[in-house]
Amino acid sequence: MATALTISPTRMELIKLKRRVSLAQRGHDLLREKMDALVMEFFDVLKKVQGSRTRALERLFRAYRVLSECFATMGTIETVESARETKRELQLEISSRHVMGITVPVIEDPKVERNALARGYSLYTTSSLLDETSKEFEQALKLLVKHAELEASAFAIGKELEKTKRRVNALEYILIPKLQETIKFISMRLDEMERENFTRLKRIKAILEERR
Amino acid sequence: MNYKVAVIGDLSTTTGMALAGVPYTYVHKKRDETLAKLKEFFGDKQIGLILLTYRIAEELEPDFSQFMRSKSMIPVVLKIPDKTGYAPKVDELSEMIRRTVGTEIAVKEGTG
Repeated sequence: MATALTISPTRMELIKLKRRVSLAQRGHDLLREKMDALVMEFFDVLKKVQGSRTRALERLFRAYRVLSECFATMGTIETVESARETKRELQLEISSRHVMGITVPVIEDPKVERNALARGYSLYTTSSLLDETSKEFEQALKLLVKHAELEASAFAIGKELEKTKRRVNALEYILIPKLQETIKFISMRLDEMERENFTRLKRIKAILEERR
Repeated sequence: MNYKVAVIGDLSTTTGMALAGVPYTYVHKKRDETLAKLKEFFGDKQIGLILLTYRIAEELEPDFSQFMRSKSMIPVVLKIPDKTGYAPKVDELSEMIRRTVGTEIAVKEGTG
């Protein structure tokens, strides 16, 4: 049960409170609408996230497996050396998109895949497994980058959703009941005062009549 | 805007990503050093995506969560499993769904 605010029971306060309630109600309705829209957006993204996650991780594990093979046949040190020789110029095009006032990142499809010659390590001294590994990792990375975009959007929208939900609940379960309780208290008090006044006047009238 | 990618992970993760052309890689050794490196990556305006393994992210707590809270949209951070396939039991995203929606929900994959 919400407790009433401590406020002096005057007519002026009552008017002020009524105004506040209607404002809170309007804010609550607006936030509620925002929340519904966010939930829809959230589920839209979640639908995509799940699939992209499984696909990306599957690819990544495959890449790890080929890398282990490569470590085994070429030797760990040689593999790491070749990785150091590789051309590493991957660029991502990142822009942003607005969803209900939240900025979420948009990552363009990166050009990760290269042919063996463009990679930069010596083809003569390395095993073909290294080419295989690079190819697998390039493909895994491509999926991971796309997944990163989705996951970041999901987190951003989820965070905003949490905030909005908290606000809606605060208005619905705390502020509005409190204000309504106070309004009830003041109007009861005012009625009481009116009744007191009424009996007082009656009594005075009776006394005046007796004197006459 | 053009951005670069950075990876923090163990030797196999970084080697693989380097082979795929990722410009910045860092092999995790000590907690403090990795934390400093992460801070450096966060400060770098050129880096738009940071990949790091779940295992390291867990080791860097609670500082890592603090970074995540204070960062803006860019850089995007994605946690990936390492070679052993290690990932925490409770997925962060499904935890968030549970908090916001109130119940566990299974989202079916759609084309939408």
